[in-house]
Amino acid sequence: MVEAVRLALVLAVVAPVVAGVIVGLRVLLADRHPSEAMAYRTTMAGLTASMLALGVVLLGFSGLVAAPVDGEMEFGSWLRIHDFEIPLVLLVDRISLTIALFAAVLTLLVGRFSRTYLHREPGFVRFFGLLAFFATGTQLVALAGALELFFAGWEIVGISSALFIGYFHERAEPIRSSIRAFATYRLADAGLLVATVTTFELLGSARFSALDRAAQLPAGEATLIALLFLLSAMGKSAQLPFSGWLPRAMEGPTPSSALFYGAVSIHAGLFLLLRVWPVLEVSVPARVIGVVVGLATAAYAASVVRVHTDAKGALAHATLAQVGLILAEIFLGLITLALVHLVCHALLRLGQFLKAPNMVHDSHRLGHEAHGPSWLARVSPRLAARVYAGALHRLRLDDRIDAAFAPVLALARLLDRTDRRIRRAVSMDGVAP
Amino acid sequence: MITGLLSAPWETFVVCLLLLVAPAVATGWRRSVRTLAALVIAAAVALFAPAGPLAYGAVAIGALLHAFGAWPSSRTGAVWLTASAVLAVATGAALDAGRLTEAFVLSTLAIALRAGVLPLNAGVSSLCERAPIVQIQQLASTIVLVFVHLRFVDHHPEAVALAPLVVRIGAVAALGGALLSIVQRDLRGFYRATTSMHGGLVLAAVGAASHDNFAAALLVVVSAGLALGGLGIMTSSLEERVGAVRFDDGGGRVGALPRLAVAYAFFGAAGVAMPGTSGFVADDLLLHALWMESPVSTVLVIVSSATLAVSTLVAYSRAFLGRPVPVLAPDLSARERVVTAALFGFLLVLGLAPGLLIGPADAFLTVVPEVAIAVPGAGAVR
Repeated sequence: MVEAVRLALVLAVVAPVVAGVIVGLRVLLADRHPSEAMAYRTTMAGLTASMLALGVVLLGFSGLVAAPVDGEMEFGSWLRIHDFEIPLVLLVDRISLTIALFAAVLTLLVGRFSRTYLHREPGFVRFFGLLAFFATGTQLVALAGALELFFAGWEIVGISSALFIGYFHERAEPIRSSIRAFATYRLADAGLLVATVTTFELLGSARFSALDRAAQLPAGEATLIALLFLLSAMGKSAQLPFSGWLPRAMEGPTPSSALFYGAVSIHAGLFLLLRVWPVLEVSVPARVIGVVVGLATAAYAASVVRVHTDAKGALAHATLAQVGLILAEIFLGLITLALVHLVCHALLRLGQFLKAPNMVHDSHRLGHEAHGPSWLARVSPRLAARVYAGALHRLRLDDRIDAAFAPVLALARLLDRTDRRIRRAVSMDGVAP
Repeated sequence: MITGLLSAPWETFVVCLLLLVAPAVATGWRRSVRTLAALVIAAAVALFAPAGPLAYGAVAIGALLHAFGAWPSSRTGAVWLTASAVLAVATGAALDAGRLTEAFVLSTLAIALRAGVLPLNAGVSSLCERAPIVQIQQLASTIVLVFVHLRFVDHHPEAVALAPLVVRIGAVAALGGALLSIVQRDLRGFYRATTSMHGGLVLAAVGAASHDNFAAALLVVVSAGLALGGLGIMTSSLEERVGAVRFDDGGGRVGALPRLAVAYAFFGAAGVAMPGTSGFVADDLLLHALWMESPVSTVLVIVSSATLAVSTLVAYSRAFLGRPVPVLAPDLSARERVVTAALFGFLLVLGLAPGLLIGPADAFLTVVPEVAIAVPGAGAVR
């Protein structure tokens, strides 16, 4: 059974990307653009194989047919130089299997939904190719047994997310939104990368199992690593102050919005926190900050959702409110509750996002329900007005982040001018002004 | 002799050969085949040479050949290459005289000139703008130079003492290059800034190599060479079709040139360490190597890489995405596709199985050549 589980784990990760590569090669090498049917069938074959493989892993983990198989599964080394190793290790446990299975099922469902929804869209083939890469990224994130492998999956999810946001690339706004989301992701990636290197150097390994030794670290070092993980999760899960990219991400096609920002990608940061819980557990300052960030995000998103005028944007903020609560639950140590909350919430939101295009039709059919004044308006009309105004322009989060990065841009321009001056001074060919 | 040849760095040589030949194939053999052959021979002699002075002599000849090719279009680039050749000769002489600190400084300076490290980037910037083919080919020679540096001058105590300084300069230069890439207004400028950023990474990696981190330095320079080579070829291919690409001209070329757009995106992603490409493993190795010298430099390099990734997406979107525009020129030609596939293949194979390159190269670099000269009080000259 162990060998079957090992094989199934590899298949779960590799099958989608193989499908994606086949679709990609067909686009690049064939003279004719591949048909919708070809892209759909190939991708769905990869996704189905991945899901079935995870079924085998579940069978092995449950112990129904043989002794239960769990823990780290070694597949050698990605790289080994002297005493440095990037291990190829996958992890089978309650959390990884839950996330891997639910991501595989949801991706498959969204694939089926998208066949009809995106029929005759110019980017149909591109969508399915990207979906396949995304599926491999999520499986790597879910099953990785070491931070390096996790980071690889994390980056694939980020890149495919940005490409999905910019799916309608003929318009300027999706491209701008895609860049903003990607920039936030890269900030999160930087945090995760620093955390990975720090973990390796302080604990001697970047395996998740090594994090069990976090209690032996001095408090300052443990807090540093915990805060870096929190930063990564905040970027990926759009927690305050990085929430600005989420409504912009709704520029992508509805199925990808459902999968990324309703179900899988938005919860990836939370999954990271569940994985690195041993480090978070020993750092009280990080836990306090985490709870504050989660609750503040929930309050912010709950107020914005009340004033949002478009269905997907409102849903995105409703999602964000719940994600904030789950983040707070994790930092409060309610791990099982957080995992159940995460899965149930993702399932609910996926359905709501996929139904979003029908919402206008439904509201016409069902009519509007008149709302009375909120409890806050009854208690303090002035405060309610302020919350309303703040929610209406989303606390000007994007403007504030732009303002924070303005000095960096100014420095870059200064550097560019200096560089041009130096090159002009030594050039024998001339330099453009 | 046979044992020596069998254990020699064939893998590194193959990568260099690819980078030397790729632009010539992509552009239709416009340059003299004899010059190309001479460049290949110079690279081979430098890589396989049993002694430092000979290796640096071959490096200098390679640089002069590049300078000869660059002179008609980029005099600044040619002068820069000549300066690096002089530095290489001086390094060889210093090695011969057993002056190890001087050899280390001169060799590092030669690498900085060749890799376009800020603020010594005028020559490479000029090559990027005016002689892109020479620039891509000299990336191969830069790999050779780094290899020779790792083999002959990077292990003695003086190198270890100077390493922290080199690492810090490299990390700051990488951040500078990354910042430059954000504010560029055309595709060529973006390529120039990207090259400078990678130059900083290479310098930092070379600095960190003195603590037995040869593999990290070699993989960083090889990954940078392959990614920048691919990016340079794609930039030139696009400009041949549509002229200079400014970021305010609306983009919209992906529909007309889909293969070129995909190839550009791939090489851009490889340059910022996309998982699956060699850059990903190289970055990981580099970060761990840098940590030993300076955690702050490690963070600077991570921030540089993140910044470059964002500016790469911006450059790609400004060049290729947006309202579709008609382009009469054809997509990638068969020759360009072959070159693209070869570079793709190397980046992916080295990304998925990096041990193929750095295993043998690391083993080769950690063996002291038989001709090592004992220098009193200064360790061994390899």
